[in-house]
Amino acid sequence: MAELQGLGAALSEAERAGVEVVAVSPDRNEQSQRLANGLHVNYRFLADPDLSVTRSYGLIHRRGGPGGVDVPRPATVVLDRDGVVRWLSLSDNYQIRPDPGDVLRAVRTL
Amino acid sequence: MTSGRLALLSVVIAVGTVVAYALLLGVPSVRNHPEGYVAAFAIAATVAGLAVALRRRWYAWLALGLSLLLFAGGAYINFVLARIPAEPTVLRVGERPPDFTLTDASGRQVSLAEYRGKKPVVLVFYRGYW
Repeated sequence: MAELQGLGAALSEAERAGVEVVAVSPDRNEQSQRLANGLHVNYRFLADPDLSVTRSYGLIHRRGGPGGVDVPRPATVVLDRDGVVRWLSLSDNYQIRPDPGDVLRAVRTL
Repeated sequence: MTSGRLALLSVVIAVGTVVAYALLLGVPSVRNHPEGYVAAFAIAATVAGLAVALRRRWYAWLALGLSLLLFAGGAYINFVLARIPAEPTVLRVGERPPDFTLTDASGRQVSLAEYRGKKPVVLVFYRGYW
């Protein structure tokens, strides 16, 4: 989870207080909690086990997982205080994740 | 350079690329340029090819085989396996995404709408488990 670690490291204390990082995955919460403890960060891990929310966001990678299961398409979305999308990162190659610096720049310009 | 040294150089480049990429995965400028490892494997294969051209010994063929295998594997991962086909877009800059309610790690129900008027949100969707 290099991206989540990178974000955590890059956000200062003040920023961490002023911005909520919400991480959504199909993982059950016990797995996410173990991940959160390992990362030592204060993210809100939300479980979307049936991918219904991920699907409503148009972020399904069809048959992209082991055994041909649907998996989430990695995405990072920056929402302002009105809940409006101000910055978006989607990739067509799951090896490529947004630079935490770019995410932060987007957050700081809100 | 002798065939033996070229073969060795090829193996060092190929194995070194694998190790370096794995170690530097946390560095965005490395991770976000996976074509770099494909290119490095191509260089290793070329060097091994030179080794074979000089002297058709087993070690030169082995180096060529290894680097071609890594090149083929790397190219497959980068250009086929890791690709995500396009889906119709829901998320758009300037628009509000759908609201949702999901459970957090402490069992609490969390809605995206809770943050409106309060805090900006960085929403990260990730694959989970691997």
